[in-house]
Amino acid sequence: MAARPPLDTAPKVSLREVSRARAIRRFRLTILVPLIALFVLVLMPVLFLQLYFSFHQWSIYLGSWWDADYVGLNLFTEVLTDPRFGWAILRSLAFATGSTIGCFVIGFALAYLMHKPFRGQALYYVVFILPMLTVPIVVAYTAEMLLYQSGPVNDLISRILGVEFKPAWLTDPNVALPAVTLLEIWNWTPFSFIIMLAGLSAIPKEPIEAAEILGASKWRIFWEVQLPLLRPVIFLALVLRFLEAMAEFPKTWALFQGGPGTATETLPVYIFLTTWQYFEVSKGAAMSYIVMMLMIVIVLLAIQLLRREKRSLDAMYGKAAREAGGEP
Amino acid sequence: MTKSRRRRISTVVRYAVLSVWAVIAFFPIYWMIATSFKIDTQWFAWPPVYIPNPPTLANYRNVWLGAEEYTSTQYAISSQTPLVSLKNSVIISFTATFLAVFFGAIIAYGASRYRLLSEARMFQLLMLRMIPPIVVVAPLSLYYSAIGLLDTLFGLILIYFITSLPYAVWMTKSFIDEVPREVEQAAEILGASRWRTVFEVVLPLIRSGLVATFLFILILTWSEYLLALILSKTNVTTLPIELSKYQGTTEGRVYGRQAALAVGITVPLMIIGLVIRKHLARGFSFGMVRR
Repeated sequence: MAARPPLDTAPKVSLREVSRARAIRRFRLTILVPLIALFVLVLMPVLFLQLYFSFHQWSIYLGSWWDADYVGLNLFTEVLTDPRFGWAILRSLAFATGSTIGCFVIGFALAYLMHKPFRGQALYYVVFILPMLTVPIVVAYTAEMLLYQSGPVNDLISRILGVEFKPAWLTDPNVALPAVTLLEIWNWTPFSFIIMLAGLSAIPKEPIEAAEILGASKWRIFWEVQLPLLRPVIFLALVLRFLEAMAEFPKTWALFQGGPGTATETLPVYIFLTTWQYFEVSKGAAMSYIVMMLMIVIVLLAIQLLRREKRSLDAMYGKAAREAGGEP
Repeated sequence: MTKSRRRRISTVVRYAVLSVWAVIAFFPIYWMIATSFKIDTQWFAWPPVYIPNPPTLANYRNVWLGAEEYTSTQYAISSQTPLVSLKNSVIISFTATFLAVFFGAIIAYGASRYRLLSEARMFQLLMLRMIPPIVVVAPLSLYYSAIGLLDTLFGLILIYFITSLPYAVWMTKSFIDEVPREVEQAAEILGASRWRTVFEVVLPLIRSGLVATFLFILILTWSEYLLALILSKTNVTTLPIELSKYQGTTEGRVYGRQAALAVGITVPLMIIGLVIRKHLARGFSFGMVRR
């Protein structure tokens, strides 16, 4: 609390200022209390426990966890020399990169075809966002109903192609990871689609009209006018999708549990298996710790990108609002 | 080629491409719905049965009402109903979402008007969402069991509240940023306290935005799987977990039952999503992209 200024030197206005400043400070503190409480009561203990288990060998069978043996960096070396862990990282990166690119390319193409009004636009929009509104675990089980070897997907493709098309989506180790990547693309293309559609409809019309008057082809307008203006939205669509894909668990788990063999063992699946199937809680914790650090690095990079792009987005919306009349 | 002819071709190409994707997007959903109306011999028949014939409500009756209807095989799980899970799902997702939107809106107001959180802090808040939950869920479950929150409604509400807070703060902030400050200044001059300004001036102004945020976060909490799988055991099951119980039973694949349950879980979400379809881009992009 600030000291009250002496009455004779301070005019009435300044007294009001002081009490106003104090009220604002109290207001801000009150708002922050729940955030701080969450941080202290949930996040800190959890992070502490994770650190504890990374340095102490404990598993469900070993009795009380607070008596676990201190093993120094053993668990970390165990994880880092575990080839399965390395493969899991590679699989996760491949899955996330593949599905991000797939979602983006399809989503952007659809958004580009749809950003100008045409008959039936609203209906297409509704159909296109449905996959995103399907619960992920439902996607997994429906995929199982669709993808078994003599199932409807193979049947339909065979009929369209006119030749026998029978990949064993769910049991062939070479096909399983691509299958779950395709599933992720089906599930989340709507995300890229709505973001890119919003971006395309928000970019200012004048530069495009100017280029059209100057006789530029659609192709050139796209590459030289629209694409640069869309850069922030593109980054957003790619970064957010990549991060979500790195964390994908329900579909991969429900369909494959890491199998066939270890073909779909992404990082979340491997951590889950280690902790809840093999009950190696400490190894799981060390693994989690490494993955968390890895993800923090990726997320911090992503945040740097997003911060820069958000500024240009805000500038764009601010300008649009000013042009629409009135203050932003 | 004349210009009008070229335009006609591009229209045809556009409809063709969009329709192909529409079929791809809709077919799995159609298949789920169709399977839920199929009798058990058609669940994985060869060749696949595309239209249920004759359509039946037996799957729904069995799954949702627990009606014992034996067809050709007997299914061990046919006697339990997911109504308890439905109740849990509703309680957990509505409460967590309400809390997230309530506190999120207040924090967002502070961030928007009083620089409560710097831009850097706002982005750090996103980490709550961007770090995969799998990396903290093991210590979290041990912590929960130590403080007695494992397998309780409150435990799941708490963690869903935390993980949806970033979305709530960012999305409501994007709405609050659009409210002109003059309104609040007028309220302050008229002598309203800060809290009254928030609750009686600002939040009512962004009512529709709050509803959109609420429904958006409801979609996320309703469909969450991993945290529910680990932090609940037997007392508290949510619908996504209930659905996975139908998997791996020794009686074989019970697609029709599963589909009937899946339709019940998904259709409400689709309706909600279609209601707020204009706000989905804003929601998923943390309010950074608007329409």
